[in-house]
Amino acid sequence: MDPKEVEIPGNSDPNQPGGRISHLALDIGGSLIKLVYFSTNYDADDEVGRSGKKSLGVPNGNRDYPVLKGRLHFVKFETSKINDCLDFIQTKQLHLGGYQNLEAPPTDKSIIKATGGGAYKYADLFKEKLGISLDKEDEMDCLVGGINFLLKAVHQEAFTYMEGQKEFVQIDHNDLYPYLLVNIGSGVSMLKVDGDGKFERVSGTSVGGGTFWGLGRLLTNCKSFDELLKLSHQGNNRVIDMLVGDIFGGMDYSKIGLSSTTIASSFGKAISDNKELEDYRPEDLARSLLRMISNNIGQISYLNALRFGLKRIFFGGFFIRGHTYTMDTISVAVHFWSKGEAKAMFLRHEGFLGALGAFRSYEKHGLDDTMVHRLMRPFPTTACLAGDKICSPPNGELNENDSIEFSVYAS
Amino acid sequence: MDPKEVEIPGNSDPNQPGGRISHLALDIGGSLIKLVYFSTNYDADDEVGRSGKKSLGVPNGNRDYPVLKGRLHFVKFETSKINDCLDFIQTKQLHLGGYQNLEAPPTDKSIIKATGGGAYKYADLFKEKLGISLDKEDEMDCLVGGINFLLKAVHQEAFTYMEGQKEFVQIDHNDLYPYLLVNIGSGVSMLKVDGDGKFERVSGTSVGGGTFWGLGRLLTNCKSFDELLKLSHQGNNRVIDMLVGDIFGGMDYSKISYLNALRFGLKRIFFGGFFIRGHTYTMDTISVAVHFWSKGEAKAMFLRHEGFLGALGAFRSYEKHGLDDTMVHRLMRPFPTTACLAGDKICSPPNGELNENDSIEFSVYAS
Repeated sequence: MDPKEVEIPGNSDPNQPGGRISHLALDIGGSLIKLVYFSTNYDADDEVGRSGKKSLGVPNGNRDYPVLKGRLHFVKFETSKINDCLDFIQTKQLHLGGYQNLEAPPTDKSIIKATGGGAYKYADLFKEKLGISLDKEDEMDCLVGGINFLLKAVHQEAFTYMEGQKEFVQIDHNDLYPYLLVNIGSGVSMLKVDGDGKFERVSGTSVGGGTFWGLGRLLTNCKSFDELLKLSHQGNNRVIDMLVGDIFGGMDYSKIGLSSTTIASSFGKAISDNKELEDYRPEDLARSLLRMISNNIGQISYLNALRFGLKRIFFGGFFIRGHTYTMDTISVAVHFWSKGEAKAMFLRHEGFLGALGAFRSYEKHGLDDTMVHRLMRPFPTTACLAGDKICSPPNGELNENDSIEFSVYAS
Repeated sequence: MDPKEVEIPGNSDPNQPGGRISHLALDIGGSLIKLVYFSTNYDADDEVGRSGKKSLGVPNGNRDYPVLKGRLHFVKFETSKINDCLDFIQTKQLHLGGYQNLEAPPTDKSIIKATGGGAYKYADLFKEKLGISLDKEDEMDCLVGGINFLLKAVHQEAFTYMEGQKEFVQIDHNDLYPYLLVNIGSGVSMLKVDGDGKFERVSGTSVGGGTFWGLGRLLTNCKSFDELLKLSHQGNNRVIDMLVGDIFGGMDYSKISYLNALRFGLKRIFFGGFFIRGHTYTMDTISVAVHFWSKGEAKAMFLRHEGFLGALGAFRSYEKHGLDDTMVHRLMRPFPTTACLAGDKICSPPNGELNENDSIEFSVYAS
């Protein structure tokens, strides 16, 4: 694989007054705050770090721009713990590298790109605590900008997952559009994407990650989304779900193609008088809940893909988190309903689409063309999606396996 | 309104050996057992009762068949309480009126039409306890047979419900097909119906009445489905509001229903099954959502005998073994003024009890 670099145009010389490098972008959602930020590695021993703050010359010989090499980092916080996020930004001084309007006189004022509803809701808080002005970008624009960026710029970003097999997808850029993006956040948005910046929000459902977490908390008393996912891992859905075989006395309903193990009614067995909530294992409750929500999303996604003749459905948002049971359920649902016509695809940086799109929108204020190159560390051999391990960056911590090597070309 | 009669062909003279009248049909589902049975009113003082067991002459003058007048009754039990159901059948001796094959020698054996998964699961139990052999009919066939029967034979069966207004639908039989039937039982089946006996199951979901009941039981102290609905009605229980409003009350059902209707260009979506039970909040949410997603093109419609489609279809399948034509007439008591769907009252026949407002006057013509 050729090492390539991701290029984002920045402003002139970072040492000159008024010139700064785009640094940080936020997506402040209903449940989670997602950050994407760029940092150079001044103290690293490797070649990437030694390029330092300013260096001339280009990898492809076509241009004569100063280049900053570094990495794009991905971090998330619970929206309810927004102060932790503010502290993080403060500590790493991320806001000091903010984009600055060239026409305005140099000030200490940081302007940071932000999307999601929280860009409105928390605008004042950011101003008061850190002196940051949030420059608001539309969430749907950012979701689409973010996913298109990943599909073009990052190697081995999208993958399918069927029957325990993960397979990366080679994206042919001439054959990428149109596709369906299903972003599963607190709620779910479904967008038909026809090109870069060209899309339509065609559907959605209020039954998403927030429902899973909310109902899950009520049913199991678990303390976090990750704990709920972990519980589901050890559950058996047949305890609580009513299967076709339960209704037919062990048989299939073959006339309409339903096997005896197909779920006829989620939570259907809980109607019996004999058991109360405490009598059920939280693992089984979590599993049935996850299955129900995943199936519902898979079905509505498929129906919308069918409606527009779309063959690829990309799933974004933090609902999935590399959880194999979730991916399997969604993949099987899409495959089953579409009779193999449509494919479910997942993304390594699934939850950061909005933040990446917001980050990308800094470039709007600069160049016409974005020359996009890719630079990725080879996918780590401790593949965090293999087998049954759950892979998810804990709040506030950096997972270096997910960061992307990145260069900024100053114009 | 002209009083008309519902006609189902039966076997010859009930007094002759080998001649019996179809009496009882069952739909044994995952959560509920639905019964439809016919009974004559021997001891009634009214004219209907006095026609007795055997009488000649016909209302429309075309035929010379003995006719049995009576009523079709609708009852349900929880599947988990199947013994209550068996006792009910036993007590009312419903199994003794079973359909009998003319070619076979007369026996005591009762053969009863049954559909739903339980027709398989509980076949042995019916045999052991009541000596009944369940003659199994396909559930989808029965759902479609049942709804088509209701739409043609029963006056004021289907209605729309928007913004608090209930409006009965006049069914034009030449413009009935195709339509979408969404049957919300324990789980949900969606059928595109193209004609009588002509349909395709196009979709389904496991998020159904069983889910609402099951999740609702786990999250509240409710002991029954009706209690859950009642609680949701009071509007200050956030758990139920969420279940009804977001998950079940409308958005996703309506969305999936609408998307399937759109796929096939269907303008009418009939909702069957026992999920709705005249609950105004549910009907309103579904109607509004279907109207919204379809930009007014599609309409949500509800049925008074919503949960008995399968059982009615099974009942109707007795006639397969007889005539070619079914002359269908309608006889309904005028819709009761204590309209059980008006305002906010929940109307649902309690388990095991008969609600006379929902029974249908009915005649059986013996061939």
